[in-house]
Amino acid sequence: MKTLIKGSHYKLNPSMVRLAHHLCPRGYERIQLGSPENGQKDYYGRNNITTVRPEPVEGHHQTPLKCIILLGLIFSVYMLTMQPVMAHGEKALEPFIRMRTIQWYDVQWSKQKFNVNEEINVSGKFHVAEDWPASVPKPEAAFLNISTPGPVLIRTERYLNDKPYMNSVALQPGGDYNFKVVLKGRLPGHYHIHPFFNLKDTGQVMGPGVWLDIAGDAADFTNDIQTINGEMVNMETYGLGNGIFWHSFWAVLATAWLLWWVRRPLFIARYRMLQAGMEDELITPFDRKIGKAMLIGVPLLVFAAYSMTASKYPKAIPLQASLDQILPLPAQVNAGVVNVETVKAEYRVPERTMTFTLKIKNGSDKPIQIGEFATGNVRFFNKDVPKPELGSSESMTSSEGLSVDNAAPIQPGEQRTMTIAAKDALWESERLDGLINDADSRIGGLLFFYDGTGERYISSLTAAVIPKFN
Amino acid sequence: MSANLSTQTFKPYTGEKARISRAYDYLILVLALFLFIGSFHLHFALTVGDWDFWVDWKDRQWWPLVTPLMGITFPAAVQAVLWGKFRLPLGATLCVAALSIGTWIARIFAYHYWNYFPINMVLPSTMLPSALVLDAILMLSNSLTITAIFGGSMFALLFYPANWPIFAMFHVPVEAGNGQLTLADLFGFQYIRTGMPEYLRIIERGTLRTYGQIATPLSAFCSALLCTLMYTLWWYIGKWFATTRYLSNI
Ligand SMILES: [Cu+2]
Repeated sequence: MKTLIKGSHYKLNPSMVRLAHHLCPRGYERIQLGSPENGQKDYYGRNNITTVRPEPVEGHHQTPLKCIILLGLIFSVYMLTMQPVMAHGEKALEPFIRMRTIQWYDVQWSKQKFNVNEEINVSGKFHVAEDWPASVPKPEAAFLNISTPGPVLIRTERYLNDKPYMNSVALQPGGDYNFKVVLKGRLPGHYHIHPFFNLKDTGQVMGPGVWLDIAGDAADFTNDIQTINGEMVNMETYGLGNGIFWHSFWAVLATAWLLWWVRRPLFIARYRMLQAGMEDELITPFDRKIGKAMLIGVPLLVFAAYSMTASKYPKAIPLQASLDQILPLPAQVNAGVVNVETVKAEYRVPERTMTFTLKIKNGSDKPIQIGEFATGNVRFFNKDVPKPELGSSESMTSSEGLSVDNAAPIQPGEQRTMTIAAKDALWESERLDGLINDADSRIGGLLFFYDGTGERYISSLTAAVIPKFN
Repeated sequence: MSANLSTQTFKPYTGEKARISRAYDYLILVLALFLFIGSFHLHFALTVGDWDFWVDWKDRQWWPLVTPLMGITFPAAVQAVLWGKFRLPLGATLCVAALSIGTWIARIFAYHYWNYFPINMVLPSTMLPSALVLDAILMLSNSLTITAIFGGSMFALLFYPANWPIFAMFHVPVEAGNGQLTLADLFGFQYIRTGMPEYLRIIERGTLRTYGQIATPLSAFCSALLCTLMYTLWWYIGKWFATTRYLSNI
């Protein structure tokens, strides 16, 4: 998981930025001023600006070297800041956020081996925790995303509760949702990919990840889109030639202007002449004519090009920035059939075991058993209950990690207080045990009950965790 | 070693001196170009950042407000030096050209080859027309005040119309997800950016929106006003860096 790139958006390392800020002004100064130590008596008289020493530059060999070192530094800072941050950061957020915000389940991939241009989808469900952490902003803007090292896949469609979902959406704590994202292979490779939520002002809450293998040839990739006007557009190249044309057009004019001046003696000669009061000779009447032509010509060109473009694309619209409106499904978790109240939660550090004392009431008409407890993408199964079908994706499962103090099925109408224990080193390796040292040490998760007919009931658990060190 | 040599006694360099002086010109130019490619581009990436990176950030309000405002900084400082000390009216063009070179290098290598984004999704904007006009105004007026007021305003006002020929075609509507999106929005949706969810875009926000169709001109005029101030500020920053401590030894 460490091999992938977290963000396509370059994160600027603060220390780099500070270093860069420190360097730039100095670099500027060095290059403009050179090093003073080779100068003569005038060094201290530099503010007088009056002395013109009619000697060529000598002994300044140190300046270029320093400049090159400095440029090297600037460029290395620059390249470093461009390095995308590594790893996806599944464990980057505090455990209470991973366990008590988006609670993923039933995440499935239609295919894990496919070709460039082939479409696959990932679908699943999630419950938004009722016990949303107080220190985390409410999910007023959430974006269901896919962790990829750049667009090795493109997202062609996305649905939330079977409705198309193009922008961001507000999620409701306590709400239940299903999702589906359709992806199309673009670059061949072997990638670890997760669905995840970007939550505004909070971060990335990862869903379970899988390895995807994309085969084929990147050159075969196509992405054609039809506009409302009926025009077919190749997204991979659309507007590129036009953009290059306009950049080149202005670059030619700018280069001509620069060369117009650079062909003459520049710095030392002009400085001396300026000091000698020969300002008028530095800008000739012809220069001024060109300047006037530019002053009028450039804006005219700009507005001509603008008007042509405006009449060519009269239907251009502003960027769309609305929030999608999608309401939760009817309750899937805590649907009212099986009620669970969490009485107490304890974490035994040496055994890496979370125990819950639960008050369970079976309101269904069949006996039920606890089959699974899931939190933070870790799934603990009760070996005495038939396990649901698992995709090949699941790496974070503890197949016998869940035990109950009373294995007898809970009868219809029965109310029972039980203790269940979820035991596995995954608490530690997934850094979920950090919870006991956090400012918010409440846990959240989903408890899955099954009856003999395959019916499933899901309840959410939430409780403050008490650590036990022996 | 007295004060200003008079015009009568001024003798231009000839021979070896002229040659060395010319070599020095080129050295400084090349170094300045690299310096500006690095530092101005870094400054621009840190301040304008996403507005310039992504086609779906180039909105009608923030993009034409922020880009010229941050783009006029280095040109003002460098003009202060190159005009003030050498009467060379090319500071703005030189800076913006260097920025363009740096930006294109980054878009092609960092965005396209390292991170697989199509280049059309990360096309940079251009400020070269703005810079040319800024240099022309400074040369013709030889005045900080006039350049700040008129040059700064033109720099901002020309930005949006100069870039619309590049970006208008990305604002063509497409039907997607039972609604309409621009092609630019669709780029943002399709080409997955893990660190850049849609809601992070700072576009179409704030009070300017209430003016509907004239949001862009208002934004541009707002930027023009601020550019006037920014220009003056950075002119003095440029002046402050460029004491002629070194040249006075020549
Ligand atoms: Cu992973």
